[in-house]
Amino acid sequence: MGNEMIKASNLTKIYNKGMTTEVYAVNDISLTINKGEFISIMGASGSGKSTLMNILGCLDKPDSGTFLLEGEDVMKLDDDQLAGIRNRKIGFVFQNFNLLPRTTSLENVELPLLYSDVHNIKGRAMEALKEVGLLDRAHHHPNQLSGGQQQRVAIARALVNDPDIIFADEPTGNLDTQSSYEIMNILQKLNKKGRTIVIVTHEPSIAEQTNRILEFSDGRIIRDSINNDIKDSGAELERIKKGGKPDEKA
Amino acid sequence: MKKLKSMAVAFNSLGKNKLRSFLMMIGIIIGITAITIIISMALGSKAQIMERVERFGTDALNVFGMAMRAPGSGPRGRPTSSLKLGDAQAIEMNVDNISVVAPMSMRWGADVRFEDKYLRSMLSAVTEDFIHMWDWNMEYGDFITRLDDERLARTVVIGPTVKDEFFPEENPVGRTIKIENVPFEIKGVLAGTGQSAGGRDMGNTVIIPLNTYLRRVANTETIDGIRIKVKNSRHLDKTAEDIKEVIRESHGIMDGQEDDFSLITPTEVREFSEHISGTFNVLLIIVAGISLIAGGVVVANIMLISVSERKFEIGLRKSVGARKSDILMQFLFETIAVTVTGGAIGVLLGILGAFLFMQFGETPVAISWEGIAIGLGFSIIVGILSGIQPALKASKMAPIEALRS
Repeated sequence: MGNEMIKASNLTKIYNKGMTTEVYAVNDISLTINKGEFISIMGASGSGKSTLMNILGCLDKPDSGTFLLEGEDVMKLDDDQLAGIRNRKIGFVFQNFNLLPRTTSLENVELPLLYSDVHNIKGRAMEALKEVGLLDRAHHHPNQLSGGQQQRVAIARALVNDPDIIFADEPTGNLDTQSSYEIMNILQKLNKKGRTIVIVTHEPSIAEQTNRILEFSDGRIIRDSINNDIKDSGAELERIKKGGKPDEKA
Repeated sequence: MKKLKSMAVAFNSLGKNKLRSFLMMIGIIIGITAITIIISMALGSKAQIMERVERFGTDALNVFGMAMRAPGSGPRGRPTSSLKLGDAQAIEMNVDNISVVAPMSMRWGADVRFEDKYLRSMLSAVTEDFIHMWDWNMEYGDFITRLDDERLARTVVIGPTVKDEFFPEENPVGRTIKIENVPFEIKGVLAGTGQSAGGRDMGNTVIIPLNTYLRRVANTETIDGIRIKVKNSRHLDKTAEDIKEVIRESHGIMDGQEDDFSLITPTEVREFSEHISGTFNVLLIIVAGISLIAGGVVVANIMLISVSERKFEIGLRKSVGARKSDILMQFLFETIAVTVTGGAIGVLLGILGAFLFMQFGETPVAISWEGIAIGLGFSIIVGILSGIQPALKASKMAPIEALRS
């Protein structure tokens, strides 16, 4: 158990329960995620992959099943205890960045620390911004940043609490190719430093950059494969910057 | 520490939505401004009442020769009085606990002339005792004596205003002025007399012997009033009853019949003044209260809309670890910050308004810490009352529902 980040058994989440539109968004899923893994969950939209990620990220509760996060039974926790778990152990990155408007990068990154016991709020936030290479954009507002930069601010926000696991829901979904590789490059580096990362994506070229791929359809995992041929986002990024075309990406 | 952070988050958010914050404040500003002005005026008129009672004298009773009637109802000028000089003598002889009895008649706007100069002054017809009632001093000459009164002497004591108008540079004792076309010799001049309780210039007065007035000027038997100073003001009420009995007997009024005179005690002066300003204040406080409630409803509404608009922000904060109480405090602090800021502006405007009233109006005002504290206290209460519902709504949002929007 020592190496297990997440151990989930028979998770089920049903929308519109009892109605004719009843949907099994997550259907009897059992899953173990080990520390240090970099996992992508793939599937068409509506396949339930985001719902699964929200459950794993303690944002949503399953209707049935068991879910241990680092050995702790999350199902037994109340809303405030879950908030504490999200604050200390989990970082989120969203498809549309979810930065507060009219608020500087620095303040956006500080946000999780406002709800923690950390005292050196500004210092920690600056450190996180440095890690994503945006120290010089600390006092810019989101509307003064490119999409890629905004997503890097969001990653800094996810990092700032030093979480055990980072969940990213379509982190490159709204970005151009180069920005996508920049984001993936940052995530790969974070993973190499030992952080567990789970991303949701529907692009195979993104999934190829992770070491385990879960394919999802109609609320079930239809394939769970280890990717032994991880594409190095850093090398890919260099190629794009020199004007070359990226592999496979349409 | 956490509370401080919530407060900082709240103020930060307000600063980012200046227009919204300002719109929320308007109602509160108006309400608190009104309340501050009202409190200033209430305290001002309270001070005025106390001053009026003090001037009236806390140890003095006044009897007037008319039954009490609503102010402003009968004709102005000379309503007939039921009092006679004999009533004053009867009181002096039959009532205990009395130090001075001063019968008098008054006429406002008496015609006073010296050569080609003209004044409308208050004519007071009094006896020697009158000066003891008021602690006045003489600038020149002497006050009217009992002898002047008995001899129906045409002597007059003038107030400082009359002296300044007619004889700015000289001692006027011995000169002759005309009052209602009757010549009077000036016997003395009063030193400063100040203002009456009603703000009238007490210096603009001419004082003549009562009997001279009754026989030579007004040609009447009746006097306007009797002012009575008691020895011990603790027994004022008992003395007032005794006086009433004596006058009723002397006027031959049967049991069950109404008085044909009125007796006014310091308590009545205070009660009457308080009654008038009290009614006024109650009305104003109702108006101010309604505007505060309306302001609070506006704040609550805008906050509710704001909570819906900021679902995403709430979801985001919750997803990174904000607990229910963090969100509750943030929104509650935001509302309170708005109403307290509005309240502070209202207090400032109210003080400014009170100063303007004092400068340009007749209304007395007093600016006090109570007024400021009540104003700010009300704005905190309105903030809590109008903020609690939106804040609860925000805190109960599920993070995933809020993020999905």
